[in-house]
Amino acid sequence: MAKRNTFGVDENLETPFNIKHLLRAGKYIKRHGLKMFIALIMASVSAVVALFIPKISQWVLDDAVPNKNYSYLLRLLLIYVGILAGSILLNVIRARLMAHAAQGIIYDIREDLFAHLQKLPFTYYDSRPTGKILVRVVNYVNSVADILSNGILNMVMECITLILVAIFMFGTDVKLAFVIVAGLPIFVGWILLIKPRQRRAWQAQSNKASNFNAYLAESLDGSKVSELFARQGANVGTCKELLAACRKTWMDAIYISNSVWLFSVILTQVVSTFLYLTGVYWYGGGLIVSFGILSAMSQYASRFWAPITNLANIYNSFINNIAYLERIFETMDEPITIDDAPDAVELPEVKGEVTFDHVTFGYEEGIHVLEDINFHINPGESIALVGQTGSGKTTIVNLISRFYDLNGGAVLLDGKYDVSKVTLKSLRDQMGIMMQDSFIFTGTIRDNIRYGKLDATQEEIERAAKAVCAHDFIEQMDNGYDTAVSERGGRLSQGQKQLISFARTLLSDPKILILDEATSSIDTKTEKLLQNGIDVLMKGRTSFIVAHRLSTIRKCDRIFFIGNKQILEAGSHEELMAKHGLYYQLYTTQMGKRDSE
Amino acid sequence: MFQIRWIWKNMDEEYRKKYLVGLLISLVTTVMGLINPFLSAELVDEVIVNHNVDPMLRLLITMLVVVCVQQGLRYLMMIWFEGSAQNVVYNMKSRLFENLQHQEMAFFDRHRAGDLMTRLTGDLDWVRHFTTHIVFNLMECFVRFGSTLVFLMFINTKLTLALLAAAPALLVITFVYSKKIRPLFMDLRERSAALNTAAQENIAGNKVVKAFAREEYEKNKFREHNKAFHDANLNINERWLKFYPGIDLLANAMTVITIFFGAFLIMEGELTFGGLSIFTSLSWALSSPMSTLGNYLNDLQRFASSANKVIEIYYARPSIIDRDDAIPHPRADVKGKVEFRNVDFAYGREKVLEDVSFTVEPGKTLAIMGSTGSGKTTIINLLARLYDTKNGAVLVDDCDVHLWRINELRRCIGNATQDVFLFSDTVSSNIAFGNPGLSQEQIADFARRAGAAEFIEKMPEGYETVVGERGVGLSGGQRQRVALARALAMEAPIVVLDDTTSALDSETEQYIREQLNELPYACTKIIVAQRISSVKAADEILVLDKGRIAERGTHDELIALGGLYYETYCLQNDIPYVAADQKGGE
Repeated sequence: MAKRNTFGVDENLETPFNIKHLLRAGKYIKRHGLKMFIALIMASVSAVVALFIPKISQWVLDDAVPNKNYSYLLRLLLIYVGILAGSILLNVIRARLMAHAAQGIIYDIREDLFAHLQKLPFTYYDSRPTGKILVRVVNYVNSVADILSNGILNMVMECITLILVAIFMFGTDVKLAFVIVAGLPIFVGWILLIKPRQRRAWQAQSNKASNFNAYLAESLDGSKVSELFARQGANVGTCKELLAACRKTWMDAIYISNSVWLFSVILTQVVSTFLYLTGVYWYGGGLIVSFGILSAMSQYASRFWAPITNLANIYNSFINNIAYLERIFETMDEPITIDDAPDAVELPEVKGEVTFDHVTFGYEEGIHVLEDINFHINPGESIALVGQTGSGKTTIVNLISRFYDLNGGAVLLDGKYDVSKVTLKSLRDQMGIMMQDSFIFTGTIRDNIRYGKLDATQEEIERAAKAVCAHDFIEQMDNGYDTAVSERGGRLSQGQKQLISFARTLLSDPKILILDEATSSIDTKTEKLLQNGIDVLMKGRTSFIVAHRLSTIRKCDRIFFIGNKQILEAGSHEELMAKHGLYYQLYTTQMGKRDSE
Repeated sequence: MFQIRWIWKNMDEEYRKKYLVGLLISLVTTVMGLINPFLSAELVDEVIVNHNVDPMLRLLITMLVVVCVQQGLRYLMMIWFEGSAQNVVYNMKSRLFENLQHQEMAFFDRHRAGDLMTRLTGDLDWVRHFTTHIVFNLMECFVRFGSTLVFLMFINTKLTLALLAAAPALLVITFVYSKKIRPLFMDLRERSAALNTAAQENIAGNKVVKAFAREEYEKNKFREHNKAFHDANLNINERWLKFYPGIDLLANAMTVITIFFGAFLIMEGELTFGGLSIFTSLSWALSSPMSTLGNYLNDLQRFASSANKVIEIYYARPSIIDRDDAIPHPRADVKGKVEFRNVDFAYGREKVLEDVSFTVEPGKTLAIMGSTGSGKTTIINLLARLYDTKNGAVLVDDCDVHLWRINELRRCIGNATQDVFLFSDTVSSNIAFGNPGLSQEQIADFARRAGAAEFIEKMPEGYETVVGERGVGLSGGQRQRVALARALAMEAPIVVLDDTTSALDSETEQYIREQLNELPYACTKIIVAQRISSVKAADEILVLDKGRIAERGTHDELIALGGLYYETYCLQNDIPYVAADQKGGE
């Protein structure tokens, strides 16, 4: 597992900048290529039409006015308004197409990014803050939209203008044209000079913004703890530090980025100065440059440099946003370590046989949590996992659902289906996992229970709630099953949250049931009632129970005592008790204490 | 406009000055923009028309200097605008963050994390954009328009007034547009917050999503939000395109009027060619501000709807705050007496606590038992004043908690919460969270007392191991022990343990129980637990049932009572339970 990232640590991007990010974005642009192409044509047509407008005013002044021709004037007026209306119409169509393209591009990128995130393993989520993932899906994608649509269109338009002007320019006077173009290498040189610095600056900025986001998300999440420990003062201090870093990196980037237009505007003026100087020098030296040509060339000079300044601005936003694009693609490139094998098959409905065949596993390279674990569980058998906190009980159950891939050995279902060779969905659909960390989604209680079976009827939902003794407290709430709840909200107690996620698990009607400390926060009486429900449920299903209270697991068919990366003891409660081993010790200390109570 | 005053309030003195000077620069450079066209006209006249090369060098150098000065000033202006905007955003974010840190729990019941995140990121970005770009651009629009108008007035009043004929219609149409577009921007903002929330929940709940193989469902759900956001954006565009032809046509009408009405006036002999050429050359200065006005209005509306969302939480003061007459309680003097007097509490209409009264003398231990949802955690939340009581009083050291300074009160309570939230920081920082001054030895000592030292020391980086958000990387039981160490490390006169050993094996629990009796400081203990073994030794045990105290007494008294407590005792020890009334009948 990669080193864990927190709000205080920048996520540095190692890959050097290259054009491939833009090419890759091309995939998204291409889907809207037709729209953008038509928009481009529209834009070119309006540009050409706009050329006629000076012509009309020329006709007005040269022909209509001296001749006092009122009807000609009126005709020209109508033509003018007609052209105006036509170009507005073209603009409307273009704007509509471009809006669809731009929104389509962000829609697609966001969808792909989100879909990829769904496939990323636990380790990805465990090793970085929520806020840093979130900022990519929401803010970064928004930022790149405009540059990938309008930015590209404008760039093409400016390039076309540039080429047209260049052609006219060189057609008019080659030598003076060279004077005008001479500024270009200087400009490009400047851009290349500052590019690495500019890119670094914007990367640093996105890093710092991401850090703040991560801290913010976590602080919102843990606000209760901060309040209880009266730590707000210190937290605000940390927040201010992060904000100051954001501000500094922003300003650093702005100093560099804004220099681009400053440089280009001044350079434009320098170029036209040289144009006059050289033009007049040549004229004075008897060369054949007429004042007419000089006049035309000075107009071309400003028309040539205007698109360059615009291109510089577009380039600027490209550089700013490429930092975001890189982050987006970096996330999309994040390897899906747990994925359907290429030849994965649908797991048919299993009977519930589970086999661990020489299983070795560790979260980190070289540090094994489990070593050479072997066991075989028959369909319908109930297994309890006991052992010290941190001994690997949760890990074993997580491996059955293939939340992690093994370092060695295999986990088999029904004796023949290797969990790594069936589709994840068909595998996990048959598992009912009640985790240590239950999560309550924002929504109603009903929505939360229904998560286990999306098409469940109210009757099924209530049946599940009743089975886990949650029905009564739900009914007592203001809006019953429609009461709005959320993960951080104060409405549900820890035990109630557990009961709701328990109901959710039951509703999914799993073939293999996994209860990982499912009842730790539930009072004894409810737990006993619950136990009856669980007993009924466990009939006909293979089940794994992780619990610390040994009284709750005595009835299990077999008990595995986990420790030292191994299964140290296995057998029924009676067998293990008779063995006088570790389980016996654990049990007698636990019960012994009770007896003395 | 309130939003502008709000921004101004959040700008430091130094930046206000810079901002105002920046606006002045914007004015000056806009006017300076008129110099070079004049010089350029002179250049053309002299050099090209009159073939007079002499003034050329002077004109060229002047123009170059003007451009350098003008653009240099604008660079400075932009830096100052950016700096001021950053200053505003910094101040706002700090204040908002602080505000959120002090909000009571009820606030977070109402506001989702994703929505709050949107306000502090996307919405505030519009405030930045407004401060940096929209203000001066709008100003320049009007300055250019106004000054050109005045100038033209002097040349020909009739033509100028004719030009203005389009203005009222333009004003009306932009005004109507602003009104119509506002709800759409508000809608867009809501969609964006919903999108953010959907993504945030998905990321935070990724384990459950995977466990239930609900990736497809999540994708569909997200797609809906993505689509809604997409559609809201396009809606705005459509609405804009409905108005754009009118706005653009009217803006261009000025040019049309100039040329044609101007031509008419010349024909009528009321205007000269020279006069008209000035009009035509300046008509762009009238029409371009007008046609870009629409874009700036869009930005303005967008800013307004975002700013309002931020302002909503900016001024949302928590209701649980220090009272003016709060009495200071130096930590050293706090004895740790806790008293509840006839306390009632309800979430909405749902009663959680009813008439709860108890007293814990300094140094004593109170235990609370009760079924799921019976109000145990609520008692602890009321003690730390995370919520305020509806009726009755909570007293610490015989002083109503309302009269305590909140932070002083909370620093007197070492709280091991049921929901073990750890921060993504090192283990040692997490333990020292409430008492940052602790030495490494003290941290290790509290970890040892909480039964956490052993596994922490086994980790490759020991106390310097960084845990993930919410304590990712530690098992449930490990997290509980770190949270316990964090509570003990407060060295507070009141220690509260809210079901902190539920995920621990009984040996560890036993060990911790022993350690609690040997803490290096005196404290009152309040223990919430489900297991008899955890509460047995308490001086008083309360058994809660549906928000009321159903039974109270010592372990022996409650066993003798034969009620709920006894029932639990039987259940946990596999003794057949005989209900009290039946017992009485025997």
